[in-house]
Amino acid sequence: MQSLLADYLPLVIFIGVSLVIGLALLISPFIVAYSRPDPEKLSAYECGFNAFDDARMKFDVRFYLVAILFIIFDLEVAFLFPWATVFGGLGWAGFWSMMLFLGVLTIGFIYEWRKGALEWD
Amino acid sequence: MAPLFPAFSVVLPEFILAAGALVLVLIGAIRGERSNGLVSALAVALIAAAGIAVAFQGGERAEAFGGSFVVDNFARFMKMLALIGSAAALLLARDFFQRAKLDRFEYPILVVLATLGMMMMISANDLIALYLGLELQSLAIYVIAAFDRDNARSSEAGLKYFVLGALSSGMLLYGSSLVYGFTGTVAFPGIAAAVAGGHGGTGLIFGLVFIAAGLAFKISAVPFHMWTPDVYEGAPSPVTAFMASAPKAAAMALLVRVFVGAFPDIIGQWRQIIVFVAIASMVLGAFAAIGQRNIKRLMAYSSISHMGYALVGLAAGTANGVQGVLIYLALYLAMTLGTFACIIAMRRESGQVETIDDLAGLSNSQPVLAFLFAMLLFSLAGIPPLAGFFAKLYVFGAAIEAKLYGLAVIGVLASVVGAFYYLRIIKLMYFDEPKAGAYQPMAPEVRFVLGVSSVVVILFWLAPASIVAAASAAAKSLF
Amino acid sequence: MYHAIVFLPLVGFLIAGIFGNKIGARASEVVTTSLLAVACALSWVAFVRVGFYGEDAQVKIASWIVSGSFSVDWAFRIDTLTAVMLIVVTTVSMLVHLYSIGYMHEDPARPRFFAYLSLFTFAMLMLVTADNLLQMFFGWEGVGLASYLLIGFWYEKPSANAAAIKAFVVNRVGDFGFLLGIFLLFVLFGTASFDELFPRVGELADAKFHIFGHDYHALTVAAFLLFMGAMGKSAQFLLHTWLPDAMEGPTPVSALIHAATMVTAGVFMVARMSPVFEYAPAALTFVTVIGGITAFFAATVGLVQNDIKRVIAYSTCSQLGYMFVALGVGAYSAGVFHLFTHAFFKALLFLSAGSVIHAMHHEQDMRHMGGLRRYIPFTAAMMTVGNLALTGFPFTAGYFSKDAIIEAAYASHNPAAGFAFIATVIAALMTSFYSWRLYFLTFEAKPRWGEHAEASHAHGHDAHGHAHGHDDHAQDDHAHDDHGHGHGHDLKPHESPLVMLIPLAVLAVGALFAGGLFKSFFIGENYDAFWRGALFAGPENHILHEMHDVPTWVVWSPFVMMVLGFVLALWFYIINPRIPVSLAQSNPILYRFLLNKWYFDEIYDFLFVRPAKWLGTFLWKKGDGWLIDGFGPDGVSARVVDVTNRVVRLQTGYVYHYAFAMLIGVAAFVTWYLVGGAH
Repeated sequence: MQSLLADYLPLVIFIGVSLVIGLALLISPFIVAYSRPDPEKLSAYECGFNAFDDARMKFDVRFYLVAILFIIFDLEVAFLFPWATVFGGLGWAGFWSMMLFLGVLTIGFIYEWRKGALEWD
Repeated sequence: MAPLFPAFSVVLPEFILAAGALVLVLIGAIRGERSNGLVSALAVALIAAAGIAVAFQGGERAEAFGGSFVVDNFARFMKMLALIGSAAALLLARDFFQRAKLDRFEYPILVVLATLGMMMMISANDLIALYLGLELQSLAIYVIAAFDRDNARSSEAGLKYFVLGALSSGMLLYGSSLVYGFTGTVAFPGIAAAVAGGHGGTGLIFGLVFIAAGLAFKISAVPFHMWTPDVYEGAPSPVTAFMASAPKAAAMALLVRVFVGAFPDIIGQWRQIIVFVAIASMVLGAFAAIGQRNIKRLMAYSSISHMGYALVGLAAGTANGVQGVLIYLALYLAMTLGTFACIIAMRRESGQVETIDDLAGLSNSQPVLAFLFAMLLFSLAGIPPLAGFFAKLYVFGAAIEAKLYGLAVIGVLASVVGAFYYLRIIKLMYFDEPKAGAYQPMAPEVRFVLGVSSVVVILFWLAPASIVAAASAAAKSLF
Repeated sequence: MYHAIVFLPLVGFLIAGIFGNKIGARASEVVTTSLLAVACALSWVAFVRVGFYGEDAQVKIASWIVSGSFSVDWAFRIDTLTAVMLIVVTTVSMLVHLYSIGYMHEDPARPRFFAYLSLFTFAMLMLVTADNLLQMFFGWEGVGLASYLLIGFWYEKPSANAAAIKAFVVNRVGDFGFLLGIFLLFVLFGTASFDELFPRVGELADAKFHIFGHDYHALTVAAFLLFMGAMGKSAQFLLHTWLPDAMEGPTPVSALIHAATMVTAGVFMVARMSPVFEYAPAALTFVTVIGGITAFFAATVGLVQNDIKRVIAYSTCSQLGYMFVALGVGAYSAGVFHLFTHAFFKALLFLSAGSVIHAMHHEQDMRHMGGLRRYIPFTAAMMTVGNLALTGFPFTAGYFSKDAIIEAAYASHNPAAGFAFIATVIAALMTSFYSWRLYFLTFEAKPRWGEHAEASHAHGHDAHGHAHGHDDHAQDDHAHDDHGHGHGHDLKPHESPLVMLIPLAVLAVGALFAGGLFKSFFIGENYDAFWRGALFAGPENHILHEMHDVPTWVVWSPFVMMVLGFVLALWFYIINPRIPVSLAQSNPILYRFLLNKWYFDEIYDFLFVRPAKWLGTFLWKKGDGWLIDGFGPDGVSARVVDVTNRVVRLQTGYVYHYAFAMLIGVAAFVTWYLVGGAH
């Protein structure tokens, strides 16, 4: 049992460190930052939302569509990075696997494009 | 490391569907709405091609992808069922969606993708493949449940299904991680070996419970059934027909493969869950359906109780029990598709109708439809010599063999209660005065589906051997 | 030949019953009547061959039931007893068919009527030709069915339906005993066939039958049970109540079924089973007592009845009592002889009464008749003949058979014989009285119809409502009482058509001469040659000889009684018609007692009908409605609906409820395994 708990020690340290950093970042602005209120700071965000408002409201779904589409390609890149680092060791099988993946993704991209999901209007 | 593409033939049906789906997306994307008919036809062709490929796979067990994908008689049998269900769902949908102005090329593609997911589920031989297949199938179905997106009920159905499906997926994943944690492997044979070796204990059981919960959600077994009536009612009828047929078969196959394939040595443990879930499903399905006026909602409860009956066979945990499950699923598929063909045929000039009162006096206006519907309902109620009777006979027989007498008795009693609401519809059709005019003529595809399923249901007793023998071979491949 | 006799009526029934509405009423009448005529002619041939040439026969038709050692055939046993019954049944039936053509000529349902008549005849023939107990029971129930159908022939009348049901139910009591008797005989002898059974009766003469903790003499029990069936069918005391009510049926039916044939089935059956009864002296005594009581009782009731058919019905009941007295004292042949002669004169009386009713436009109350002799002289003459034969006027049919019974009762050593003798002699007096009373009230004195009829219209009618005599009424005009029976106009009684008079004449011939002609065969010197063992008499049974050696006063007593009755009736109803009224007024209790038939219907109503109805209502309301329905179908379905409503309420439509249910489910499973499920 002791060894099991010991295994989790790094985790506890990690949580502690992150807690310290988080709190530090949260508290320091109150101490060091200077305050200059401005009405612009309370105006709607780029996505069209008011900064402080009821969550249950109508909103323009296009922001989310763009965001979702972005995430797909964002994750694709996240997938490509580790693949690229070990590409040398993967051989042709690794290469074609990624090509297949990208091909599928491309077909999805074509669909997305043709459906007009990338156009704002 | 095993070669990545060892036996192309093993995954040929899945490859056909996957590659075909991509081609269909391209066709649809490039040609736009004009391609609806073409995509729909090609989707049916794809499924047919996949069916042929499944049929020509050998009977012996074959594995791929490092053992996470397996093809045996069991998988082939279930895949045929899933493919038939999907094809029928596509056929039923064409005319319906055209009239509802819903005919988009995405629907056939999503059905094909869902079918691909089912095939992967059926062949899954480890927890990761299981999850991949399940999610592929589920995501596609979430979308088509909300396919009539301008309709609040349909959107609600899709959303509810998605939210609760996500919850169930979470449970499934949590259970899988527990099982992996306590056995050290995700492969079913490995889990089976570890369990046989005495690893696990309570933690493993916890994992088992969560996996069971996740899968029970997919077959809408009590108490994970709550989504079913709302979603069945809200989704467009062909989608409901699809959800009630193929995915049920696939999820049941998965359940059988997980329990029989990965946990054969602790049958005493998981049987308790299955028995409880089976009883609860049979009873609740039977009772709750009595109160329904909407026929799709009624069919939702009907499918809940039918899944309960199928689980009776699994609870037996024997080759005969699994054979009973397979026969049950095959005949249930025919009954459900036929019934939904009838429901889709319930269309007056004013539009589609869905309450059972709209069936009043059907025997006067459309005697053939009324007769076939009556036969299907009699079969669902389990009245001999129709198929539904034999389906129940096999599962209850297996339960008796396994000495699960209480379960069999409760099942029979529940089917007595359940017979009431089927018979009530028949009474409405034959003895009540019609309230409105006749239905409009059926589309030829609907007619075809209804015809084929009626033949299976009505004439099964003439040649039961074909299905029984296949189911027997399939069941034996698991033991 | 025997096939033809038995099955021709069946053919007639099938033709008239199935195709009656197609071929029409006239064709149905002709077909059934002519088939019966053929059967009748063949029966007489058979009677001559069997009775005088000794050609007994066994005709096997088919195997009926074969089950293990139990085997029963459809077969005819043709001996003298059967032959006698054959001619009685077919002759009377044929004449009744013929008569009905006239009597029923305005009834729209004639094909059905004739089909029923033929069906009855077939069943009766099956009964008398039976070669085993089971076939006899088949015929027994068949005549019961036909009787039920014919009593209720005018099914629009509630009283007819009630009478039909009453006849059926009362007979059921007797049939139950009969069935038990058959069972017991089968248990004792292992067979239902007469041929195998009769020779072996002697073997079990002392057998005991253990039941309810006591040993009983088996054959006595069997004989009692069989006689119970006979009591029902032959309307003997205690089970007689259905017979007067059965007069609701058309008059030809009363003549055929409730006078000549079916009601004598009990007599026939006891005679047929004489080998068993001979070994059961206690049962024979019982038969004698019941017969004597019935003869007396029915005659007393007959004295005061006003409905012409009811008088004859009670007379029939009384005469059946005579027959059972004869059987009880061992003079089986005398009983059968009386059966034979009685068939003629009683059918004659009934058909004459029918002719009167027909003439009076369905008036049946004798108080509204009188003076009819001038209008329907032929009917009056026929009625006279019938009365003479019934009362035993010398050398008519009744004289031979009835006097033989009275003499046998006197000569018998049976413990009840003395009682039976007194009862039958007094009954003879009463028979004479009520017969002549009927005659005088109907045919003599001043007419009491005409002016009175209008006022009395509302009661006393038993009319079945065909407006005979007015052609202006539609044929299918069935519901009748409201538009009179011709009272307002054209009331003049009219003689019946020829087709009704011929049967009367034929029967009159029988009533006059059947006795003298056949006496020597039935009970006289040719006894042995004629019967040849068809009736069994035990070794000590010498009644037929002893009854010839009775004192002279015994021989004369019935004759004296007859004359006395005639004189009394004459005095009461012709010379001094006030006497009956003053008698009734001075003895109101006795009068009401008799008029209400000894209050049997009321007693049975109190003893059986109401408790049975109460029990039935209780079982229906409480047993079936409350207990079985409440906890069975209705209760279960109500609970199902309750459960359904609750389950449906679970389905709220909220996603978080659904999710909660799933989590509860998982939690429950986990808890189950934690707490103790996992092993």
